[in-house]
Amino acid sequence: MIAIAGLVVGIVLGLVLQPDVPLWAEPYLPIAVVAAMDAVFGALRAFLDGIFDDKVFVVSFISNVLIAALIVFLGDKLGVGAELSTGVVVVLGIRIFSNVAAIRRHLFHA
Amino acid sequence: MGLLDYLSTHTYDEDYQTVAARRRRAASGGHGPTRPWAVRGAVAGLVLLAFALLVVTAGTQTSRNALALSDERKDLIGQINTRSAAAQQDQARIDSLQAANRHQARQVQSDEAQAHELLTRIRRLSVDVGVTPVRGPGVSIVVDDAPDAGSDPRDQVLDSDLQQLVNGLWQAGAEAIAINDQRLTSLSAIRRAGSAITVNDNSLGRPYRILAIGDPDTLPARFAETSGGQAWFDLQQQVGLRFQMHSRASLTLPRASTTLRYARPEHVGGNP
Repeated sequence: MIAIAGLVVGIVLGLVLQPDVPLWAEPYLPIAVVAAMDAVFGALRAFLDGIFDDKVFVVSFISNVLIAALIVFLGDKLGVGAELSTGVVVVLGIRIFSNVAAIRRHLFHA
Repeated sequence: MGLLDYLSTHTYDEDYQTVAARRRRAASGGHGPTRPWAVRGAVAGLVLLAFALLVVTAGTQTSRNALALSDERKDLIGQINTRSAAAQQDQARIDSLQAANRHQARQVQSDEAQAHELLTRIRRLSVDVGVTPVRGPGVSIVVDDAPDAGSDPRDQVLDSDLQQLVNGLWQAGAEAIAINDQRLTSLSAIRRAGSAITVNDNSLGRPYRILAIGDPDTLPARFAETSGGQAWFDLQQQVGLRFQMHSRASLTLPRASTTLRYARPEHVGGNP
């Protein structure tokens, strides 16, 4: 319940405040969102499996976002930003799909 | 395929399993769970709040960027349209200017041709009139007073004698005549002023040297047939005036300097 409340409050806050993203951070935002989604779905699956741990969730969330941003930053510096972003999105996307599939199995027992 | 296989089999965050296994060991060892569920939920809620904030921010930013991009695009399209219209106008202007240019070039060409024609005409006419030096074959005549000239004016060459001589030469087909380097023009007069003969208002000294351009083969014979020629034959024979005529292959006659102060050309329509 508290988790869902946090989600709702976050959405409302974002819509109300509409924070301005500084220009230098703009390219990292989409990849950070994908990394965060991976952490969130992993946490949801762990929760359904009954082995959820808040510390692991916090650490995985923050490290996912930071590493994704770092990869994009490095790629930009090396001139292969678009390719590295694509790679990160592919890897994280596969993980997200698998996790969502596991969650689906849990919820619908299918 | 190895990488994809690894990805699809290791999707699960292994940390959760590791922590769970450790906790199970701790629980079997007598230690209870370290945190209550409320704290865990609060932490998860905070993280999810951050996640939601992230997602919404990214979404609004993207849509805002798209909006700005489309605005910019519209602006650019408008600029392109106005600029290409201007370019079209400029092109039309260039075309018309080029056409005008071609027209003017043709005009200049025809003007140049006309000017050339006029110059040729002027050159030809100025030979006739005597305002340019001329060169050509002809005869040179030297006339002088009688060798034993006394006080009798008949022993000297008179202005009327020179007039007869010149008229005879014109009649015989001379095209240009000069007496002592004084070119004869339509304004020239041969007359007596005091004791000297003047031509073009310049006094001449003896002997009188007359240069006439014409056919050197026919000029002497035809001159002899004119009344002026016959008068000079008489003068030579009976008075004793000196008269010598020689054919010359090339003579150069100077130009005359004439200034018209009152006469103005009457406009000749259609034939400049």
